[in-house]
Amino acid sequence: MKNTLITCILFTLSILASFNTYSADKILIFSAIPDQNQSQLNLRFNKIANYLSESLNTPVKYVPVKSYAAAITAFRNNQVQLAWFGGLSGVRARSLVPDSEAIAQGVEDTKFETYFIAHHSTGLKPSKHLPESISGKDFTFGSKGSTSGRLMPEFYIREQFKKSPSELFDHVGFSGNHSRTIALVQTGAYQLGAVNYKVWQNELKNGKIDTRKVSVIWKTPTYPDYQWSVRGDVDSVWGKGFKDKIKHALISMKDPELLNAFPRSAFITANNDDYLPILNTAKKIGLID
Amino acid sequence: MIQLNSASVTYKGKTALSDITLHIKKGQKLALVGRSGSGKSTLLKLLYENQNKLNKNAALIPQEYALVQNLSVFHNVYMGQLGRRSTWYNLLNLIKPFHEPVTQVSDILENLQIKDKLFEPVHQLSGGQQQRTAIARAQMHDGDFLLADEPVSSLDETQSQLVMQLLCEQFETVIFSLHDIDLALKFCDRIIGLDHGQLVIDTSTDRLNRSDLLKLYEK
Amino acid sequence: MKNNSAPIYHHSQRWKVSWLFVFIAFLCSFYSDLGINTFEPMTELGRFFSGLLHPSLDNINSPINAILQTISFALLGVAFGSLTGFFLSLLFHWKFIRIICALIRSVHELFWALIFLQIFGLHPITGLLALGLPYAATFAKVYAEIIEESDHRAYDSIRQNTGLISAFFYARLPDLWPHFVTYTSYRLECGLRSSAVLGFVGLPTLGYYLSSAFLEGQYSEVWALLILFYILIASIHYWVRPRLLPVYLLIAPFIIANDSVISLDNITRFFTQDIIPSPIKNGEPFDALWLWFSDLFFNEALPGIINTLLLTQLALVATGIMALLLFPLISNLFFNRVERYAGHIFLVIMRSTPEYILAFILLTLWGPSMLPAVVALTLHNGAIIAHLMGRYSENLTNQSNNIKGINLYFYRVLPEIYGPFLAFLFYRWEIIMRETAILGILGIATLGFYIDSAIADIRFDKAMILIFITAFLNVGVDILSRYIRSRLRLKTTAECS
Repeated sequence: MKNTLITCILFTLSILASFNTYSADKILIFSAIPDQNQSQLNLRFNKIANYLSESLNTPVKYVPVKSYAAAITAFRNNQVQLAWFGGLSGVRARSLVPDSEAIAQGVEDTKFETYFIAHHSTGLKPSKHLPESISGKDFTFGSKGSTSGRLMPEFYIREQFKKSPSELFDHVGFSGNHSRTIALVQTGAYQLGAVNYKVWQNELKNGKIDTRKVSVIWKTPTYPDYQWSVRGDVDSVWGKGFKDKIKHALISMKDPELLNAFPRSAFITANNDDYLPILNTAKKIGLID
Repeated sequence: MIQLNSASVTYKGKTALSDITLHIKKGQKLALVGRSGSGKSTLLKLLYENQNKLNKNAALIPQEYALVQNLSVFHNVYMGQLGRRSTWYNLLNLIKPFHEPVTQVSDILENLQIKDKLFEPVHQLSGGQQQRTAIARAQMHDGDFLLADEPVSSLDETQSQLVMQLLCEQFETVIFSLHDIDLALKFCDRIIGLDHGQLVIDTSTDRLNRSDLLKLYEK
Repeated sequence: MKNNSAPIYHHSQRWKVSWLFVFIAFLCSFYSDLGINTFEPMTELGRFFSGLLHPSLDNINSPINAILQTISFALLGVAFGSLTGFFLSLLFHWKFIRIICALIRSVHELFWALIFLQIFGLHPITGLLALGLPYAATFAKVYAEIIEESDHRAYDSIRQNTGLISAFFYARLPDLWPHFVTYTSYRLECGLRSSAVLGFVGLPTLGYYLSSAFLEGQYSEVWALLILFYILIASIHYWVRPRLLPVYLLIAPFIIANDSVISLDNITRFFTQDIIPSPIKNGEPFDALWLWFSDLFFNEALPGIINTLLLTQLALVATGIMALLLFPLISNLFFNRVERYAGHIFLVIMRSTPEYILAFILLTLWGPSMLPAVVALTLHNGAIIAHLMGRYSENLTNQSNNIKGINLYFYRVLPEIYGPFLAFLFYRWEIIMRETAILGILGIATLGFYIDSAIADIRFDKAMILIFITAFLNVGVDILSRYIRSRLRLKTTAECS
């Protein structure tokens, strides 16, 4: 009991001490939506952190998060100042942070696509439209907050069938991320899935996909997707012109090792208006009020 | 000094004491006698609860000892004095006993022949040793009078005599509840007999003998 | 013991209530989706168990860090919970405090974590409070029960002449202390499980790496992490020592500390904007608010409530059956020492694996339906109750050695043990429901699914209302369970969640 009393006092003090030990040197912290395997993301973004701290002459750190919502919240709460968002998560995040901006996107992100994939047992073949026979099957999206894994596929399903996914399919799941969607359809846990085309191509290239088990049956029309978004108040913390410095650093990224990690061929400038189509689509299917 | 006028106590719908009138003068040594369930403990409790009203300070030896099992004998005895010290002193004394109370408690325990148990936790003691700890606590408490409910029930003949002697020396006014008639006759000057919650005997010791009292237990 | 020997088979009230619950569960099964939806379930199952053969930690950045984080959050959360709970327990005679504690308890740690993630983001206080707050409410209740049941006599005999604090420290605390310590150290084990599970929503604990490894299908890593977790739980008595605890508690805050900063603006914004229903926030007329609410209620809350109830009732009865089947495994009335040892290992593994992790594993292997959830809840809770019953049955002596096996079970043991069994089971009813709701995060359409969706859509107003509904449902089941227990004259002691 004696010990406990002393411990209680010391314990309170040490908690207070530890919570106040953030460094005075301002670190630029960035995050990204967890759209694929965490180990790949860590590899990719730790490289980017090194690249950015060299180009910006400021310590830069990557913080992984577990969900799309957590990435948005961290951006909103100023716990990260820069983020690699998807189309939908970017629109949501920027609507919550005044003066925040989309500053750069991959060349491919201007014309992004979603692939609908199917397990071989369905017998479905590639076609011009979504086949009618997908109704009554088990279908998985990616994350609930994903553009290519949720928003766009749901939009095209509703447009063609005039039904919500839960009305059309027997089971509707949310796998969590694109890598997982591919794995789940490949093992037959779900018969159908919707997946980010870049992740599909990348995993195909890395030999992680068994094309006898799973194949692409339909490709959506193109839409704008991923982008780097930055908070409006970075200039006031790191000095005037800092936002432009970040933008410049991203766009002048030429190292193929860095670019292949995304994978993107290059980054180009972006602005908030590029993502109006995403905002409108999200409003149409009720994901944004 | 202590007065009760037509006091009654009911407990769970049953009358435990009815219409007790009692005047106790300073310096008296009282013995409450009667079968178990006759109301002795209830009467002692009533007197204990009335001490504030009487503006008096009573020491108590409860029948069931009411010790804190996980504290040492020292701390249990020290509890008799808690009210006289500041809270800080009490708390610090819990962590590291002060010299002064240790000496005080040791002296009391010495008389009771359990000084060697000073820092042993109470739950390791025998029934008799626990009872003597409760007695020591009352001695430590001191006060205007003592209420002792079967204070020697777990002690042998010699120890009982010793304890009764010590208590009668320290406290001027004492109210014992006793089932040992011989002790009552030897140490007390006034005997109160209770039966079914009613006062049936109230007389000085010299007007009574053993057989009068035994009748109380025979009915 | 007398009371428990009341006839259990026909005509007794306990027997009728038992069958009523079985009947309800039977009806529920018609409305629940209990199929295996995977087309090649054996492939994945095979890969999963082949991972057990060569567990590997190569791909995990720092398993040591994951372990340290898990321990630190558990220790700090339980420390915070027990301190706060202790002070609350002293005020537990106030109805207000009791109601608040009941509401806090009825919200699962994971939901608390989702709420605090919005307020404090990645700051470690998110995890500390997510674990500490519901634990504080539980500690308050159990400590209050301990205080109530303890011996008041020493306290009563000195309180007239003594200050409140001195009297409490001398006459109450020393005898309450061992009970507090027993319960608190027991909750530490629960805390380790909770801490690991919080990793699933982003705390850097074991669950964080476990869920990543799972999602990537790295089963060798999954097994390595699970084995680490079992070792951690099994060795708890070796590394949790009273003398070491102060040291741990001093180091832990520095382990969980990170660069995040708490901003008061975020906290204010959460309470003044985020959780205000959007029609009110936008100043829309009352009709719009009504439409918003009825839409939420009929399209999300109601289906969520129905699925939560269906799954809870199924899991409750299945848990009971599982416990009745499993407890002989560890009872000396049925098996010898060596056989019981194997039984113990099985039960320990099942009860130290959180339902959430079990359900996660089974969902991956069997595809989406309620079956994985029912099986996960049944295995975990069944093992806990079986463990308690097994221990209880050791107190029964087998008077006549000629009854054995099935006869012994039905004639001698079951009648004696059925009362405590029902008490344990009804006690866990509320716990099973709390877990059922949370399993929604994994994709089963219970309330947790709709809460998780609302948060994914950044609609905290909806999420908060759904969390409230979940809490009230839980409190309701708790009250019902207590009513049934008192009607059937069942008595339980405090147990783990």
